[in-house]
Amino acid sequence: MTLPPIVMATIMSAGVLGALVGILAYVTLLERKFAARLQSRIGPYRVGPHGLLQPIADGVKLMLKENLIPASADRPIFNLAPVVFLVPCLLIFATIPFAPGIGVADLNTGVLFFLAVSSLEIVGLFMAGWGSNNKYALLSAMRAVNQIISYDLPFIMAALVPVMLAGSLRMSDIAAAQSGLWFIAYPVLGQLSFFAFIIAGVAAENRVPFDILEAESELVAGFRVEYSGMKFALIQLAEYAHVLGTSFLGALLFLGAWSGPGPIWLGPVWFLLKALAVFIVLTWIRWSFVRIRVDQILRVSWKLMLPATLLLLLATAAVIVWRTPGA
Amino acid sequence: MRDTRRGAFAEAFAIGKAVGQAMRITLVNMFRKPVTVHYPDTVRPFPNRFRGLLALTYDKETGEENCIGCRLCEFICPPAVIKVEMLKAEKRNYAKTFTLELYACEFCELCVQVCPTDAIIMMKSFDLATADRREMLLDKDRLHAIGLAHDPSWATGNRLRDMQAPPKKTAAEGEKPAVAGPA
Amino acid sequence: MPDLRAIDYTGSERLTMNMGPQHPSAHGVFRAILTLEGETVVGVDAVIGYLHRCHEKLAETLAYVQYPTIASKTDYVAAMSSELAYVMAAERIAQIEVPRRAQYLRVLVGELQRIASHCLWLGTWCMDMGGALGGGATIFLYCIRERELVLDLFEALVGARLLYGFHQVGGVRYDVPAGWSEECRDTVTRIEARLIEYEAMLDDNPFFTMRTRGVGVIPTALALEVGVSGPLLRGSGVNFDLRRAQPYSSYEEFEFRVPVETAGDCHARYLVRMVEFRESIRIVRQVLDGLPEGPISSRPGVKSLAQVKVPKGEAYARVEGPRGEVGCYLVADGSNKPYRMKWRGASFSNLAILPHILPGCSVADVVAIMGSVDPVFGEVDR
Repeated sequence: MTLPPIVMATIMSAGVLGALVGILAYVTLLERKFAARLQSRIGPYRVGPHGLLQPIADGVKLMLKENLIPASADRPIFNLAPVVFLVPCLLIFATIPFAPGIGVADLNTGVLFFLAVSSLEIVGLFMAGWGSNNKYALLSAMRAVNQIISYDLPFIMAALVPVMLAGSLRMSDIAAAQSGLWFIAYPVLGQLSFFAFIIAGVAAENRVPFDILEAESELVAGFRVEYSGMKFALIQLAEYAHVLGTSFLGALLFLGAWSGPGPIWLGPVWFLLKALAVFIVLTWIRWSFVRIRVDQILRVSWKLMLPATLLLLLATAAVIVWRTPGA
Repeated sequence: MRDTRRGAFAEAFAIGKAVGQAMRITLVNMFRKPVTVHYPDTVRPFPNRFRGLLALTYDKETGEENCIGCRLCEFICPPAVIKVEMLKAEKRNYAKTFTLELYACEFCELCVQVCPTDAIIMMKSFDLATADRREMLLDKDRLHAIGLAHDPSWATGNRLRDMQAPPKKTAAEGEKPAVAGPA
Repeated sequence: MPDLRAIDYTGSERLTMNMGPQHPSAHGVFRAILTLEGETVVGVDAVIGYLHRCHEKLAETLAYVQYPTIASKTDYVAAMSSELAYVMAAERIAQIEVPRRAQYLRVLVGELQRIASHCLWLGTWCMDMGGALGGGATIFLYCIRERELVLDLFEALVGARLLYGFHQVGGVRYDVPAGWSEECRDTVTRIEARLIEYEAMLDDNPFFTMRTRGVGVIPTALALEVGVSGPLLRGSGVNFDLRRAQPYSSYEEFEFRVPVETAGDCHARYLVRMVEFRESIRIVRQVLDGLPEGPISSRPGVKSLAQVKVPKGEAYARVEGPRGEVGCYLVADGSNKPYRMKWRGASFSNLAILPHILPGCSVADVVAIMGSVDPVFGEVDR
């Protein structure tokens, strides 16, 4: 019995969302344990065996916390900002196919949708900074707008290299095109575009070394400084969702998505593992470097990353034309 | 145009190399054993001279209290946390009351240093955290109880004074190596 | 209230931002009222005094045998140098000679303390620049891990990890226990190996050099005029180290290099301190090799309050602490308590450079500069 497509879509979306929130909670634990091991310590250990219940404890704590709203804050904007921040970060998972045929919506323009929607979070971010009515938050939000817009361009260019190599914006086509050779293994162009993807991704997500907007030691949590309780939890969730989404995109564009040894139903597991590998690389970068100033960040973006990724795109086009017989 | 491109790539290469270096160091540290000590399940071994909780002692042979109530510790204490009242008796004096405000103590070991009878000493333990500050106002009974409950540190008044002034013998004799074995 | 007339308000779009006393990178309790134009600092008003504990008055009420334990609480990160300044001043007035073994032990703990203090400096500076959730925290934890090794050594020697009460008038209170010298050698060897790792993580790191080169330049003339000392002075090209210029406590018997850099920026101060790490390790090894036998104090150990009476006179004793020149000016009147003590905290004079170098840099640079100045507010506010 086939259910009407809208019911199928609803079940699929609910499943993906539920799994996503669960995975996100444990991805935070993975980051904390990994960071701890890099720093010669252990990380969460006492809550549950080896800290496995830590995300649940954190979630409960945040739900029970008092919801403070500054008296002079712009209430509608302040309250809406976490939602506006969260929704695009969750929406990007709608286009990712977790296995051939399984996914909420495998659009023809999947990659374009992903890149466009993930940039919408900047609206929520600025709303949070503005609505807080706090100089630190405002400063951070201004830096954020600057930075995310600057780095989305190289990010998109780097993501377009696999798209060009596969010849399609549809995500499942890109995954299928890697059945022979993963795009990261493509001579020179694959590796360079992967590096550019990682660097631009780190910057587009405001992670160290590009996290000037939340520089804890200067701006003390930046645009999030006035948020507490469940709203803060939503913002955290959104940030990790964005990072995880970028990891999934990286795994799909460069690491062959669900291809891996074993039966076909093991595909999503491989996909998840590859995404977590990309996530670990991003985390490893985060915990190894000090951050740089905002003018230096922008200089790197406009003078280094953008020309480099443009050249990379041109080079990819040239190579494709050269390789394709009779073009 | 060509030069800028080469400059940019050279710069990118230098950045990449330094980045790889830093990430290699963090990776190396990942495979080192974590330095975390799982307190309170395991306790670090205390060194011999650890300046911990204060305690009053009894004489080993006679079982009498060592404290003669001379109040030298009260006078020397920089934050003035010790209060002693002397009780005169025929053979020797005692301390009638001895209070020590541990919450204000700075653990400088001067009281231990001046004590002529090695009555007040410090223990190899710091474990007295409490939610009520009044529990850290130690009276004579509590001080004696602490003395019986933990291991004493090496330092007593006579040992410290012997170490600090000539005779020409080198560091205190009869002292065990600096750090005790696993507790 | 800070003197607001000192700030030029003729610009437009100026934002007054308070880097308040409670701030993750204020290095203690320090309030800087920054006037910003966009991201550039145009004026700074430094407010200190949040940690004032009346040390100088306290010194008048405590005897010479009691105060050294309190003196360590001025510069609590480098407690050994702080105590040394006080006891040296008292010894200078009373013309008490300190036995050679005690002098060597003072040098030993002073240099170990320098290593520990610089570990803390590097860790907190990188954490300020890299964030508590990021690479800065990684370097912070590595540095703290190494600092713990030195603190373990102190714990085995003295019994305490941070505030020691090691010095007394006439010498020191504790002698080296059995097996400590070998542990000390092991520790400094391990720290030397780890230093190579820190330098690998930071020296060529473009992120780090971008943040520190050309930032917070202190010209030589300004450094001399304002009266900074320590790595700030040596990073600006002035070859002045008290251990060389006015050797105290047998420093003249040891071979070590005084690092001098001419750039005057944060990176130069970083290089100076990294070299000081290695030179301190060198001195520690020399002390351990040549530690003479003998008493550790020329005066009997403290037995009573009235034991040390310093005759009438006054003296100023200076010590090269990790942050600069720590000085103690004592006026004695013949009793067992000083008549007056004036404390020269290195960080107090070093902080005076801030209104001269902060205007013109961005907010992120403020943090980098504060870290490279390395203030400890115990000795700023006393």
